[in-house]
Amino acid sequence: MLTYLARRLFVMVPTLIMISVLVFVIIQLPPGDFLTTYLNELQAQGEAVDPAKIEFLKQQYGLDQPIYVQYAEWAWGLLHGDLGFSFEYNLPVTEVVGDRLWLSLVLNFSTVLFIYIVSFPIGIYSATRQYSWGDYGFTFVGFLGLAMPNFLFALILLYYANVVFGTSIGGLMDPEYINQGWSFGKVMSVVEHLWAPVLVIGTSGTASMIRRLRANLLDELSKQYVVTAHAKGLSPKKVLFKYPLRMALNPFIADIGNILPQVVSGSVLVSVVMSLPTTGPMLLTALQSQDMYLAGSFLMFLALLTVVGMFVSDVLLAWLDPRIRLQGGVGQ
Amino acid sequence: MISLSRSRVLHVGRVIGGCFLSAGVLWAGISPTTGHAEVPYFADAVAKGTLPTMNERLPEHPHVIDFGAEGKAIGKYGGEFVTIMGRSKDIRMAVVYGYARLIGYDQDLNLQADILEALDVNEEGNVFTLHIRKGHKWSDGTPFTAEDFRYYWEDIVNNDELFPVGPPRFLFVGDEPATFEILDEYTVRYSWSRPNPFFLTELAGTRPPFIYRPAHYLKQFHEAYRDPAELDAMVSERGLRNWAVLHTDMDRPYKLSNIQRPSLEPWLITTEEPSDRFVYVRNPYYHRVDPEGNQLPYIDRMIFNISNAKLVPAKVGAGEVDLQSRILTLKDYTFLKQSEAKQNYQVRLWDVGAGSYAAIYPNLTASDPVWRDVIRDVRFRRALSLAINRTEINRVLFFGLAKPTNNTVLPKSPLFKSEYRDSYTDFDIKVANRLLDEMGLDERNSDGIRLLPDGRPMEIIVETSGENPEHDDMLELIGDSWRQAGIKMFVKGLQREVMRSRAYAGETIMSIFNGVDNGLATPNSVPSEFVPVQQDSLQWPKWGQYYQTDGEAGEAPDMPAAEKLMDLYDKWQSSNEAGRKEAWREILDINSENMFSIGLIGNVPQPVVVDKDLRNVPEKGIHSWEPGAFFGIYRPDTFWWDR
Repeated sequence: MLTYLARRLFVMVPTLIMISVLVFVIIQLPPGDFLTTYLNELQAQGEAVDPAKIEFLKQQYGLDQPIYVQYAEWAWGLLHGDLGFSFEYNLPVTEVVGDRLWLSLVLNFSTVLFIYIVSFPIGIYSATRQYSWGDYGFTFVGFLGLAMPNFLFALILLYYANVVFGTSIGGLMDPEYINQGWSFGKVMSVVEHLWAPVLVIGTSGTASMIRRLRANLLDELSKQYVVTAHAKGLSPKKVLFKYPLRMALNPFIADIGNILPQVVSGSVLVSVVMSLPTTGPMLLTALQSQDMYLAGSFLMFLALLTVVGMFVSDVLLAWLDPRIRLQGGVGQ
Repeated sequence: MISLSRSRVLHVGRVIGGCFLSAGVLWAGISPTTGHAEVPYFADAVAKGTLPTMNERLPEHPHVIDFGAEGKAIGKYGGEFVTIMGRSKDIRMAVVYGYARLIGYDQDLNLQADILEALDVNEEGNVFTLHIRKGHKWSDGTPFTAEDFRYYWEDIVNNDELFPVGPPRFLFVGDEPATFEILDEYTVRYSWSRPNPFFLTELAGTRPPFIYRPAHYLKQFHEAYRDPAELDAMVSERGLRNWAVLHTDMDRPYKLSNIQRPSLEPWLITTEEPSDRFVYVRNPYYHRVDPEGNQLPYIDRMIFNISNAKLVPAKVGAGEVDLQSRILTLKDYTFLKQSEAKQNYQVRLWDVGAGSYAAIYPNLTASDPVWRDVIRDVRFRRALSLAINRTEINRVLFFGLAKPTNNTVLPKSPLFKSEYRDSYTDFDIKVANRLLDEMGLDERNSDGIRLLPDGRPMEIIVETSGENPEHDDMLELIGDSWRQAGIKMFVKGLQREVMRSRAYAGETIMSIFNGVDNGLATPNSVPSEFVPVQQDSLQWPKWGQYYQTDGEAGEAPDMPAAEKLMDLYDKWQSSNEAGRKEAWREILDINSENMFSIGLIGNVPQPVVVDKDLRNVPEKGIHSWEPGAFFGIYRPDTFWWDR
C-alpha cells in the first residue's frame, strides 16, 4: 500500500511541471503583453499614454526579458510559495487572491457534497424501482439538468431568486457585508446566495452521477449471488446494502477525480455569469489583460486541485477495494 | 465679508474666450466666515475637538458653486449613493466623477477656476499664473501650497529615476520645457517663450496631469528626502524593484488606490484593493460650498460595487443602484423602463459627446494601388455615403432615437454647421450609381457587381474590431443597399489589435469603428481627429504614422487636401483664439467636402438611471468622457437625498 501511494505521489510531480510550462506558454501566446492590453483599453476610453512611459514600465515589470527567464523566475517563486506579482492590482498575488480562494473552496466543496447527497439516494431508488414512475420522473429531471446550459440556468435562477426571495442579484453575499467581519448575518447571507450557484453547477454532475449509480447497481442486481441471497430469505434491505451496493460503489468513488475538474471549470463559468467573489471571474479578467502571474497562479491552483482530487480518489479506491490494491502490488 | 477686489476671476478670456463668469459676483452677500451649521457627519469629531470646525477647514475663499446658473437647489446633508463598476480598476472613476480640477469645465463647457482661486493668462497665451486658495488644505489637514507644485515639477517629472521620459508633452512648446517659478506661497507661474494652447485644456481634462502632489506625504518615499537605508527597507519589505516604483505606487493621483494618500477630491477612498465594494467617505477639507456657505459634498458616502458587466442591467433593474450610466447602453432601455415603476427610479436619456456612434473608414493609405486610387476619388466616398439608408439603421437598431449624421462635430459645438452633419447623408441610390458611373466604373459582371479598373469585381471587405455587435448589424443593412449600387460587401470580424496593425500596414481597404470622440470641440480643442496626425485614425493610418514618428515610418501625405490639413494644423498650433477658430473651420470644411470617413448614426442616447429621491441630477445632460467627465461637470458633490 505504501509503495502504491508513493508511486502515485511521484507521478504528480512531472504532471505539475508539465502543466506549469503549458500554462505559462498559453498565457503568453496571444500577441502583446499586459502593458499593450492596458494601453489599448485606455485608448478605447479616449485616454492616452506616452509610449515612452510604456517602455519604462516594461523594464520595471521585467517584461522585456525573454520568456524562459520570466518562466524560470515564476517557477522558482512558486516553489518558495511566492506566487508572483499582479500587474493589474500592483500587489503580490497572494494578497489579491485573499478570500477568493477560500470562497472558491467553499463553493466547490458544497457542490460536490450536493452532488453526492442528492444522487446517492436517487440512484439507489431508480435502480431498485426500475421503470417506475419515480424512476422516469427523476430521469427526466436529471436529463433536463444535463441538457440545460449552465449560464442560462444561472440567469433564470438569479432572476427568480430576486423576484421571489428578494435576494440581491449576483455575488455570494449582500453588498453591505462585503469587507465586513464574519457575523451571523453575513453567514446567513452567504447561505442565501450559495444555493443558486451550487444548484447550477451541481445539476449536470448530479444527473450523470445518478445515471452511473443506477446502471452499476442494475448490473449487480441481476447477478446470481443477489438472487441466491433473496432465495435464502435475507431481508431485501440487507441484501441491497450488504452486497450489490458495495460492488456498485467503485465507479462512484473513482468519479471524484472526474467530478472535481468538472465542478471547478464549471464553477469558473458560472461564477463569471453570477459575478461571484470566487477565483473564476478574477481568472477570466487576468487572462484577458494578460496579467500572467495572477492567471498562472490561478491555473496552477486549479491544476493542483485536479491532481489532488485524482490522488484522493485513487487512495480511497485502493482502501475500499482490495482487488485494486493487490493488483497494484502484483503489477510491480 | 470678502472684498470683491480680492476675489479673482479666471482671466483667460483673452486666450480661450467665452468665460467671464465672475466668481466675485457669486460671493456677494455670502460670508462663509460667519457661523454655519456643522456637517452632521463630522459633528461628533468637531465636538470632541479631533477635527476643526467647518469654517476653519474651508479655504479663506471657498469655491462657491453658482446654483442659480446650474439650475440647482440647496440640499440636505447625509446618505450614500451606490453605483456599479465593471472591474475594480474602475475605482479611478471616483476622480472622474469627483471632477475637482485646478480649472474645470462648467455645464456649458466654459473653463472656470475650481481648486485654484484664479488663473491669469497673459495676452499672448504663454505666461500662466496660478493662484492657490489661501487656507486650502489637503484631506489630512496639511496646507495646500506652492510647494506641492514645486515638488511635482522638480522632484517628480524632472527626476531621472522617477520619470525617465521627462515632463509630459503639454509642458513643452516645441522643444522648450516650461519655466516654473514660485512667486509666493500661494502663487506659481508656468511660462514659455511661445503660446501653449494645450496647457489649460490639459488641466481641465477628465484625466488631468495632476501638476500638484501632496509633497508632505510623498517626501517619505523620495530618495532626496529620506534616509537611503530606511527607504531601502521599505522597498524590500514590499518586494519592489526600487524606490521609484514605491513612490509611483504610493502616489497614483488618478486611480487613488492608496487610502493613505491625501487628496483634494470630494470623497476619499477607504477600501483597499482587492475588493468588490469600495466605500468613499467625504473629504472634511473639500473646497466647494453651496451659495449658503454649506460645505459640499451633501452626500456622505459614495459606494462603488464591482460586478460582472453583463449583470449590471439586471442589477439596475432590480433597484440595486442610486445612480448609474456606466455599462448601460440603449439596448437596455426598454428593460430598464419596464422596471421603472416598481423600483422608484427614473431612466433619463442623455445626449452623448461623441460626434458619431459609428463610422466607416475607407483607407486612403491602402497598399493595394488600384483600390487606393478608387478610394482617393471623392466621388467614390460620396457614392458610398449616399448608398446608405441611415433612417433604416436608426429605426431597426436604435428605436428611432438616434440621428443620421456624418462623422463630425455635434450641434452643441460652437464650430458646428448643419452641412457638416447633413451633406451626402440622404439615401439616394440613383445619384450614387451616377457618381460611380462617372468615375468610369460602369462595367459590371454577370452578378451586377461593378468591376475595378483592373477587372476585379468590386468586393469590399469591411473589417471590424469584433467588440460591438451593433457594428455588424449596421454593416448587414448597409451591405444590402450597397449591393443596389453594384458593390458587394463582406464583413470580417477581427480583434482590435489585429485590426489596427492591419490598418497600419495598409492591408485594410475599409473598416468600421467608433466615430469622432470629441463631438463638442471648441476652437481650443486639439483637432487631431480631423487631420492626419494619428496612426489610429483609420482613414489615413500611414500618414498619421509619418507624423507621429517624425517621418521614420509611414508615408507623407500626398493628397492636396491632406497637405492643406497639415498646414492648418500648424496654423492652429501657432495662432491666437481667432486664428484657431478659423483653422478649425477650414479643417472641418475640408473634412465635410471630402468625406474622408463616412459617419453613420449619431447621438445614440445614453440611459442614465437616477433614484427618484436623488436631487440636483439634471434631467437632460451630456454624457461624455472628454470634455465632461460623465457626471463630473454636473458636480455629484451637489447631489442630495430628499427623504
